[in-house]
Amino acid sequence: MATIIPKTSAVLTSLLRADFTTQWRNRRAVMLTLIVPIIILTSWKGLISIVGGPFVLANSITIGLFASGLMGYANAVARDRDKGIFQRLRVAPVPFWAIMASRLLVQLAMILIITTAVFVIGKEYDGITLSPVAYVFTYFTAIIGGAVSLSLGQMVVGWIKNPETINSTTRLIYLAFIMVGMFGELNKLGETMDDAVQWSPYGAVKTILSTSMEPDKWTSHASMALLVTLVYIIIFTTTGIKWFKWNTK
Amino acid sequence: MNQQEANILTVDGLNVSYGNFQAVQNISFDVRKGEIFGLLGPNGAGKTSTLSAIEGLLKPDSGTVTVDGYNSIEKPLHARASLGVQLQSTSFQPELFVIEVLQLYAGVYGLSLSKDDILAILRDINLEDQAFKKFGQLSGGQQQRVSLVISTIHNPKLVLLDEPTTGLDPQSRRQLWERIEAIREKGHAVLLTTHSMEEAESVCDRIAIIDHGKIIAIDTPQAIIDKHRDDPEVISVSRRGKITLEDVFIALTGKAVRA
Ligand SMILES: Nc1ncnc2c1ncn2[C@@H]1O[C@H](COP(=O)(O)OP(=O)(O)OP(=O)(O)O)[C@@H](O)[C@H]1O
Ligand SMILES: [Mg+2]
Repeated sequence: MATIIPKTSAVLTSLLRADFTTQWRNRRAVMLTLIVPIIILTSWKGLISIVGGPFVLANSITIGLFASGLMGYANAVARDRDKGIFQRLRVAPVPFWAIMASRLLVQLAMILIITTAVFVIGKEYDGITLSPVAYVFTYFTAIIGGAVSLSLGQMVVGWIKNPETINSTTRLIYLAFIMVGMFGELNKLGETMDDAVQWSPYGAVKTILSTSMEPDKWTSHASMALLVTLVYIIIFTTTGIKWFKWNTK
Repeated sequence: MNQQEANILTVDGLNVSYGNFQAVQNISFDVRKGEIFGLLGPNGAGKTSTLSAIEGLLKPDSGTVTVDGYNSIEKPLHARASLGVQLQSTSFQPELFVIEVLQLYAGVYGLSLSKDDILAILRDINLEDQAFKKFGQLSGGQQQRVSLVISTIHNPKLVLLDEPTTGLDPQSRRQLWERIEAIREKGHAVLLTTHSMEEAESVCDRIAIIDHGKIIAIDTPQAIIDKHRDDPEVISVSRRGKITLEDVFIALTGKAVRA
């Protein structure tokens, strides 16, 4: 009797169903990733006339993306690795990439949900609207920004094994990004700090998002920021995959 | 049937190490179709490490593993498709309902089972009432039973069970042995580890005793007992007059408790 390997499409469907169900059951935690973006959208309402709508939307989306990639993705991977959930899947005839692909598709859905939520609240509460092209463009840059945050999360789970340490590390990085987002734009930190903020993962993602909301104003600075995000993705992903271990023992 | 065809698993010259520590040293054995094979050994002997290498969870330093004719490193998916596995420490997403965990693994093994099929599987192990409970809310023994039933869900040719009876009540334990014997009836094979010498003696067709990463005895339980029944160490540890597998095991591996 010949051995039959299950079809990859069928395997992926089953993995996706389980991963989306898990995400749905954790929807309370998922909602938490939206809290800071919503705080920004509501509390910065008065600033919109000064800094502009795209600036507010871009900061909200950027914070949401990093919350999802760092706290959502990285912590879920850390927990499932520690509990041996991956090990059990790995002894089944499942290609390893399929296990990760399923996780990433869940995260892609999260990116779209966060971006849409910010657009909707931004329009309904703050009255910020963009051109149709800008909305489409921003979904694309949000996916790129999401990739920065996911690959950063991947680097953390590659670098650290203990799930509690991962939890506190991701929170710390997230907090740092919130600080950067809140205060980094005030131009009061001195030139070196301003540069560091601009080209940090946070700053670069924020720049490509805010510029894609006004595509006709795309600048060479934005192109540079896009390039920088791609470099971050490559560095974080390669190290994150290279260091990654499937078990914590 | 030649020797090669009679074997469902061949392990040849297996070496596994963690850093500088060599956990498995040049282990060779085979498991034949229709056989229940027991891997016995004290804590830290290298049983789980041996199984991990067979499952493809860790890469051996050297040696080959052949599952149903497939080299486990060259053809990992083929090898794994023939395997059913229950790991010593494993878990499923605690958020998923029990029925969803089974649906996931049915899909992962390429089966298309209806909801009724899955409920029937759960009825078999008396967990039908728990089908819509979250996996994380089951008791330890119930979780173990789910894990065990998943290990045979795709009717694999070789089932690897790492301490399957740990945490089970006597009823479930007995049911498990019946299921294991049913696998043998079908001509499929089971490779298991256990710390219960009584169980090993009564159900295993052959056993290997492994200590410090090496096989120190491999044969039928009776043959191992017979071979050592007159050893002075065996007689000195025997407490009941009748020499048991446990007496031989303790004599061979020493009385000291392991780290
Ligand atoms: N990931 C690891 N890193 C370092 N050493 C390890 C690792 N896993 C196992 N070991 C060591 O390898 C040896 C064999 O471990 P293994 O888990 O194979 O033993 P075992 O026979 O299954 O024991 P038990 O009956 O307690 O389950 C032990 O000394 C253990 O400490
Ligand atoms: Mg073990």
